[in-house]
Amino acid sequence: MRIMIVEDEALLALEMESELEAAGHEVVGLAAESKTAKELIGAAAPEFAFVDIQLLDGPTGIDVGRELASQGVPYVFVSGNLKRIPDDYAGAIGGIEKPYTVNGFQNALTYLVAYVGGMRGAQVPPSLVLASSAQAA
Amino acid sequence: MNDTQQTRLAREAGQRLLAEHMSEDPFAAAFKATRMPMLITDPRQDDNPIIFCNTAFCQLSGYSEEELIGRNCRLLQGTDTDPEAIAKIRQAIAAEADLSIDILNYRKDGSPFWNALFVSPVRNEAGEVIYFFASQLDFTNIKSKEAELARARHIAEEEVADRTADLTNALKAKTLLVHEVDHRVKNNLLTIASIVKLQARMSEDDTARKTLRSVLNRVEALSTVQRKLLNDDDVGHFDVADFAQELVHDLVSALRRSDIRVTTDLHEVVVPAAKASPIALVVNELIGDAVRRGLGDGGGEIHLEVRRLNGHFLIRVSDTVSPVEADREEQAFSAMMLETSARQLGAKIEKTVEGHRTDVRITLLVDEHKD
Repeated sequence: MRIMIVEDEALLALEMESELEAAGHEVVGLAAESKTAKELIGAAAPEFAFVDIQLLDGPTGIDVGRELASQGVPYVFVSGNLKRIPDDYAGAIGGIEKPYTVNGFQNALTYLVAYVGGMRGAQVPPSLVLASSAQAA
Repeated sequence: MNDTQQTRLAREAGQRLLAEHMSEDPFAAAFKATRMPMLITDPRQDDNPIIFCNTAFCQLSGYSEEELIGRNCRLLQGTDTDPEAIAKIRQAIAAEADLSIDILNYRKDGSPFWNALFVSPVRNEAGEVIYFFASQLDFTNIKSKEAELARARHIAEEEVADRTADLTNALKAKTLLVHEVDHRVKNNLLTIASIVKLQARMSEDDTARKTLRSVLNRVEALSTVQRKLLNDDDVGHFDVADFAQELVHDLVSALRRSDIRVTTDLHEVVVPAAKASPIALVVNELIGDAVRRGLGDGGGEIHLEVRRLNGHFLIRVSDTVSPVEADREEQAFSAMMLETSARQLGAKIEKTVEGHRTDVRITLLVDEHKD
């Protein structure tokens, strides 16, 4: 998949990029704040995104998420505090809580790739919290 | 009938009443001399006028006897007299009933006083009401004390409200701070893990990579603790079963080995936050050890148990694996981690090995300290 990473911690972003590439994905954009992130949605045409909530310009990840949802790009939040995600999950499939483990992240990734590919009913790994809309789907 | 005529009639009625009592009548003398303000009205006369009043009443009201005789008691009423109290007095008079009521009255000079009024009909032998007797008691002092108390209470309540608001704000600020610190700790733990992972990726040396993975494994155990710590409303406590569930799932699913089967028997055991990290490391080392020994071709079974047992807390890992030669250095390091964490917890380690079956039981007291 063509994946965008929205994360203000450069080392976390870099490591996530390595992890995604090792799993055979292409990272088409990295953004540390909301303006760049929103521009990248159109410019880089990602098929999926990982979005941190707290970015360089504040808790703007939610806005970025809504923009992704409005453009039909599936995504998950990646945050130290999943309680900050609004009740409607801003259109996200779910959330991965920091600090995730290598295995936790890989399990979530496997599930998400299958989910975006249209597969439903697989067991949700504990490292991934699904939005209620995604649970119903 | 004019005022003078009415006054005259009232005075005559008062004199008749006095004439019924000899001057040495102790009751009449008492009525006149008592410090309790009292008066008598004649309901059979027009407008129920005062026909007699004592000195105490004159002193209380500020009116002279001359000014009072022939007047209805309503001359004591004023601007702030409660109309409901007036209505009650009127009803009691009409019903010829006793009444005790607190009413705000006014002196001749216009100053108000709180009057504890008692009105009672006086009947003749035929049972007809011929007089009304009224006694008054000025309780303005008590009333103002009440007002003072009410004011003090109001001030105290305001103070409490202010303090509560302060405390609520302080709590809000503290909660924000805790969340902010928690956020930073989580990010830092993940950054530490990322650094180790990045270096492991770049390393061309197998041993270095292995060592970095070993460090990462422990960092991640602590990361999982941090993630589980603040999730509940019960901040500062940690459910070992919940943690163990996720740890096992993480470790074993990553192996992608269908020949290593894991079963669990996990029951909620909540421990203080201070114990979370060493307990997490204990669980991590026990599982890690079993996995490492079972990584041969034969696979095997690993069973993890977390529960309370006779007032103690039991973590038990038993495995039946086809043993392989695990890395000696790694095993020694893991054993040291396990023993040190157990020592910190004051936990007992019992290990039995029978053939291919290894059973490790860790028991500790959970509530021995109030952390």
